[in-house]
Amino acid sequence: MAISTILRTIKQSVWIGWKVETNWADPLVFSIYYLIKPIAGLLIVGFIFLIGSVVSGTVDPGLFLFLFIGNSFFIYVMQIMMMMSMLIHEDRAHYEVLKHIYLTPGSLHVYIVGRALNGVMNASIALLLTLGLGVAIFQHGLAVPIQINWLTIDLGLLGLTMLLGIACFMAIGFVLCGINIMTSKVQFTLNEYVSGILYLFGGVVFLPEILPQWGQYVSNALPVTYFLRLVRFSFLHQANFDVQANLLYLFATTIITILVGLAVFKVAMFKARRDGLIDKKEEY
Amino acid sequence: MKRGLLMKYESLLHNLRAVYARLWVRIKGGNREPEWLIAEMVIPVITLSAYVYLYKMVDAPPEYASFVIIGGTMMAFWANVLWNMSAQFYWEKEVGNLEVYLVAPISRMAILMGMAIGGFVNTALRAIAIFISGILIFQVPVVIHEPYTAFLLFFLTIGSLYALGMMFASLFMLYGREAWHTANLLQEPIQFLSGTYFPTTSQVVPHMVQLLSSLIPLTFGLDGIRRVAILGEGFSDVWINVLALVIFIAVLFPLARLALRYMENLGKREGRLTLRWQ
Repeated sequence: MAISTILRTIKQSVWIGWKVETNWADPLVFSIYYLIKPIAGLLIVGFIFLIGSVVSGTVDPGLFLFLFIGNSFFIYVMQIMMMMSMLIHEDRAHYEVLKHIYLTPGSLHVYIVGRALNGVMNASIALLLTLGLGVAIFQHGLAVPIQINWLTIDLGLLGLTMLLGIACFMAIGFVLCGINIMTSKVQFTLNEYVSGILYLFGGVVFLPEILPQWGQYVSNALPVTYFLRLVRFSFLHQANFDVQANLLYLFATTIITILVGLAVFKVAMFKARRDGLIDKKEEY
Repeated sequence: MKRGLLMKYESLLHNLRAVYARLWVRIKGGNREPEWLIAEMVIPVITLSAYVYLYKMVDAPPEYASFVIIGGTMMAFWANVLWNMSAQFYWEKEVGNLEVYLVAPISRMAILMGMAIGGFVNTALRAIAIFISGILIFQVPVVIHEPYTAFLLFFLTIGSLYALGMMFASLFMLYGREAWHTANLLQEPIQFLSGTYFPTTSQVVPHMVQLLSSLIPLTFGLDGIRRVAILGEGFSDVWINVLALVIFIAVLFPLARLALRYMENLGKREGRLTLRWQ
């Protein structure tokens, strides 16, 4: 497929995704809806941390920074998983357009990437607002020191980490799309399973060292662990952090995830076409 | 006189049958798919595990892990109220059942009551599994001196939550796609405000947040249940929670009835009761 066709398909699918996600409300209401959820999530973990620290007698600002950055950047995982888990169900069963998209000269893969990029766009807006409001609430409202020098963020490393991380999360999303094309029973729960496991084992709000040994093995195998470590380093520049090794692990786990994601999706599409599942009607 | 009484009796019987019918569908439908049953028991345990580990990271006393487990257990009921009560009329509209309910010679409250009881039975099974798993996995303390008080608080909390769900159902009846977003929106903010995973009575929680928390029945229920089941307190310590929940129920049930009638009439006037794919 020509590059121009790919780019046009991506542009159109980002646009359709944006419309589907936003045109049910006016921009102000939409912004409030999109902001409240991640902010409430941050407030929950922030208050758990503060209340737990106060009763134990020590508040460690370094640990707060750990969860603040981890929870904020986990928005990408949540958004991409939610978007890609529901995509096949919505387009096939609810709006009944999947068969039409399948029949167009553009590839279904490219369309899905475009829809996922719309999720990335929404997540980026939510991330910026969450970071801003998080600092306002915790640093200025509750006097928790958030020692980030916003001018010394390693943008090059952050950009590279984001690129690899997003590619990896989209690959996991392709696995979800593949599963959802073969069954119509798990679209509401699949993303919660995946996000929940990544949240628990990915070192998002607590140090993975607290997990039992087997949990630490799981944590070390997950790309999200390296993604968050590198994101934290680009903000905090901790000493004794091996950037190259973590980058290499993230790169390797991303490549493996992409290969698995594409293979699962290819097999799923083959079975879906063979069994007549692409225009399967259910529920609506 | 006699004829009037007979008609009222027949109407009551008719509505009770509707309650039973809707309840049966809810129980049968909710337990038909093993995937859903497993997901509803496993996913909350995964989420609450992360919060238990967060408390462990900061060396908080073990009671705080118990707070999380009770919060996670009660959250199963809130999720049920939100998705299977409040948003239910939206789903029914999308699949074409709402109009059938509306033309049937039964009270809408009977339909909602059936959904509520069926939903409670289904969720109770899952909640018990979440509670036991949480206790067994994390070996957290549970000290109940007054089980009757704990049960009283639990059932009053459930009553007030489902009354709130019935009230929301009328609102969701007219919603299009915003139903999905609204139900999503009412998860984390309510978890935060009601103190699902931490005590809102802590000195760390600002007064404004505590004030907002007191508008949610779940806050009183969770606080009371935790104090009785984890801290070993008795009725004399939590009577104010009991009173608050009774007031919530007394206010929310009639409000739900009024809201349902109002929204149905509004929907008829604006032609939105059968409008799909908005």
